[in-house]
Amino acid sequence: MRGLSEEQRWTVLEKIGAYATGDLEGEEAREAERLILESEDHQRLAESYARLLAALSMLGQESPAAPEAVVSYAVRRAYVAAFLRQAEQFTRGLVEDYLGALALYLNLRPARRIGP
Amino acid sequence: MNPDAPAVRERPRTADLLSYGGGRRSANGWRPARVFDASGRMNTGDPGVEDRNLAARAARGEASAFSRLIHKHSDLVYRVSLRMLGANDASDASQEAWVRAWRNIGSFRGDSAFSTWMYRITMNTCLNTRRKESRRKEQEVPEEFTQLPEPSGTGSSPEASALDGERREEIFEALRNVRPEHRAAVFLRHMEGLKYQEIAEILDIPAGTAKGWVHRGQAELLVLLSEEEGEDR
Repeated sequence: MRGLSEEQRWTVLEKIGAYATGDLEGEEAREAERLILESEDHQRLAESYARLLAALSMLGQESPAAPEAVVSYAVRRAYVAAFLRQAEQFTRGLVEDYLGALALYLNLRPARRIGP
Repeated sequence: MNPDAPAVRERPRTADLLSYGGGRRSANGWRPARVFDASGRMNTGDPGVEDRNLAARAARGEASAFSRLIHKHSDLVYRVSLRMLGANDASDASQEAWVRAWRNIGSFRGDSAFSTWMYRITMNTCLNTRRKESRRKEQEVPEEFTQLPEPSGTGSSPEASALDGERREEIFEALRNVRPEHRAAVFLRHMEGLKYQEIAEILDIPAGTAKGWVHRGQAELLVLLSEEEGEDR
């Protein structure tokens, strides 16, 4: 890749990578093939990509389990938040009822008629 | 074997998880969905439906439903955090992601799988963490890249070279130095096996951009790895 500008190098690098990933079709794929065949550097690049993608795929097969501390913290937080939400609703309801009763007691609001 | 390393177990491909909505286990430790869920309601057999039911109950304030979602998807959240941020920050980011999920569970409409929604929340959490960090310490991929050295290994299979512990660490280390958005795209594409459309949905970008980020990210990764190899010589 000697004699190419920085930007051209990245373009070549990305194009060969896209070919290795199987993302190129038709004329673009043929152009990438030509690029790979024309230089040993490009062939080495394509080989490196193939190895890298295989390694990433292998590493992707592993699934590290979440530490118990992370799971239990998240569960605890959810339960505490749910409890606080319910406590807030309960308190709000209680205060509203109390204020309603007080207003009624002080004759600030007429009693609602029940029934027809 | 490093005793501090997190336990590793086989899992189905994430593409399968997405299509089912996540958490379906088989003989290798992944259980099939049960006919009735925790509340005794009929389960149609589709974990996506089960997740949506759990999320709806969680949105009404049922912590037990959210707890089940945590247990089902905690490995996914931790795995994303670990690959995006490394072992030091993975636990904090996972916890932060779950706190955000609980706060915003009401906004989960069920248009996509719950796992996709969790991918998005976790990715955003990780990218925000990285942005905060990068404000403190600007880290850029080097402008120059030299001739790529001969690929390492003695012509053995890619699988064999991938199993090499040192090489494994090199890849993760290099991946952590790839620009965060590009790293996210490479991780989702090559390690999680997602389609470009799914990556676009998670990262909230057009599919064409997702493809571009994958290509640029893997190029950055290759350059970083070749530089490391060059330094080792």
